[in-house]
Amino acid sequence: MNGGLTKHLNIIDYTLSSLWRRRARNASVLIVFAGVIFLVASFQFVTEALTETALDSLRTAPEITIQRLSAGRQTEVPLDYGEQVASIHGVREVVPRIWGYYFDEVTGANLTVIGVDLERMPLGEKLNLTLAEGEVPEPGASGWVLVGRSIKRIVESKGTAYLSLFRPDLSQASYAITGVFDAVTDVLTNDLIVMDIGDARDLFHISPAAATDLCVYVANLEEVPNIARKIAAALPDARVLTRSQISQTYQVVFGWRSGFASVCLLTALAAFVIFAWDKASGLSPEERREITILKILGWETSDILAVRFWEGALVAGGAFIAGCTGAYIHVAYFDASLFRSVMVGWSVIHPSLRLVPSLQVSTLLLIFCFTVLPYMAATVIPAWRSAIVPTDSALSGM
Amino acid sequence: MLIELEGVTKIYNQGQINEVVALRDIDLRIKEHTLNCLRGASGCGKSTLLSIIGCVIQPTSGRTAIAGLQPARMPDRFLTVHRRRCIGFIFQNYNILPALTVRENITLPLVPLGLSRRAMAERVERLLQQFSIGHRGNFPAGRISGGELQRVAIARALVNDPPPSSWQTNPRPISTAV
Ligand SMILES: Nc1ncnc2c1ncn2[C@@H]1O[C@H](COP(=O)(O)OP(=O)(O)O)[C@@H](O)[C@H]1O
Ligand SMILES: [Mg+2]
Repeated sequence: MNGGLTKHLNIIDYTLSSLWRRRARNASVLIVFAGVIFLVASFQFVTEALTETALDSLRTAPEITIQRLSAGRQTEVPLDYGEQVASIHGVREVVPRIWGYYFDEVTGANLTVIGVDLERMPLGEKLNLTLAEGEVPEPGASGWVLVGRSIKRIVESKGTAYLSLFRPDLSQASYAITGVFDAVTDVLTNDLIVMDIGDARDLFHISPAAATDLCVYVANLEEVPNIARKIAAALPDARVLTRSQISQTYQVVFGWRSGFASVCLLTALAAFVIFAWDKASGLSPEERREITILKILGWETSDILAVRFWEGALVAGGAFIAGCTGAYIHVAYFDASLFRSVMVGWSVIHPSLRLVPSLQVSTLLLIFCFTVLPYMAATVIPAWRSAIVPTDSALSGM
Repeated sequence: MLIELEGVTKIYNQGQINEVVALRDIDLRIKEHTLNCLRGASGCGKSTLLSIIGCVIQPTSGRTAIAGLQPARMPDRFLTVHRRRCIGFIFQNYNILPALTVRENITLPLVPLGLSRRAMAERVERLLQQFSIGHRGNFPAGRISGGELQRVAIARALVNDPPPSSWQTNPRPISTAV
């Protein structure tokens, strides 16, 4: 057999037996390291899966949304604005929408209520696709609601099929639940109630001549920025939001949340790197002696580094595989239950969304660079520093 | 001539306050297939001389030829290769790794030679029997008696002895007690 290859196999043999000799120490490093990689990887997987989900749901949103500002705060939009906008060339449809927040005192949840005009909303049928059960009622019907899954659960726990909400004057309004949103959209719909625009007006006591915002549907998507500019010019007190702006907002929100958690994780990572450095760089006198003896017995510097390299590679590689696999299982099968509270929850009710981590090579590579590489460096460099010392001066210590 | 030294001088920490002239102008010739003994008062430079013969340290001045090689001209890497082919070491304090087993300790010089596992095991086994330490083969070296330890050190010094078939072409290893 090839001498170089056999030599390398011998070195791996030696590495394995020396790993085994220090099995307690190596196992503890491996477990801590796998834990850190597990956290970092879970986190990365969750962020990516969430961003995907949110952006996915945005696809059905209107191209342009018009709000009105008064004293810098959002107020009701008069419906006449809609007529003005509809006359702009390229606008297909302008649909008023009502939405607001409803604080549920029993659960402490802040629910989002959206009133839509099914007769005029071009995406009426598309809404059906987002439902897991039931369907969107015929245009013109009233007294119905489509709800997110957690709201459905709350209603069911009260033992009725009707959702009861209070108007500002504390009179009660009841709605039949005709549909429940699919779990896939939970990140956005979990605490969402969709109802007829007339019912929403009634619930929030909003005048028939106004709406919360206007959804503008455009014939040619390329025209969106242009039309948005024209609307802004025509309506000085309006805020004009395009879908891409909204999606950017989502990304910023997720970015902020993940940024916050990243800081926590980086701290854990830094702690680990210091720990690893300490373990690996503080070559004990024993290890230093071992290196010197091996050199005198005819081991080259590269042979000694190969031993350290394989030691580091096996520990770090094992931890990397264990950590990433664990993270994938954590995210895909346990819905990242450890991160729930930081990552999702647009309201107090925590969505139980199905997360499907998309395994991207770039993500794995990123995690690899931040975990395995520092550890390898921390194992190999000190040994290298100790091994390049000529035997001459190394021997004087014996 | 297996070992030739001419005018070898070794000065430790040259030019510093703690300068030590360990060897001064040493000439030495040793033939193949001989057994030699070096005597002298403690601190007279025996270990230093053997370290130079063993290509572990370089003389400050003078000429050396060890088993056909002139170490003065060689980079550290070559000396390492030369050491593992031709030289066996027994240290004053043996320098056996206590955490490794007796067998592993004796195998150490063979690892970088690129021998097959079987060939390594055969050589080590032969030496274990020869030095009557076969029954200690799997003991951690830190847990055997001083006499056994000495035999392990000698076995390790002899383990890179080339097999009989190649004795003609390879110089017989030098064993030095440092
Ligand atoms: N690495 C070293 N640095 C400085 N002085 C040394 C070193 N090694 C040995 N010496 C000194 O060189 C002299 C010879 O040492 P050594 O060769 O070990 O003697 P021996 O083995 O004959 O007892 C001693 O005085 C010793 O202190
Ligand atoms: Mg001595």
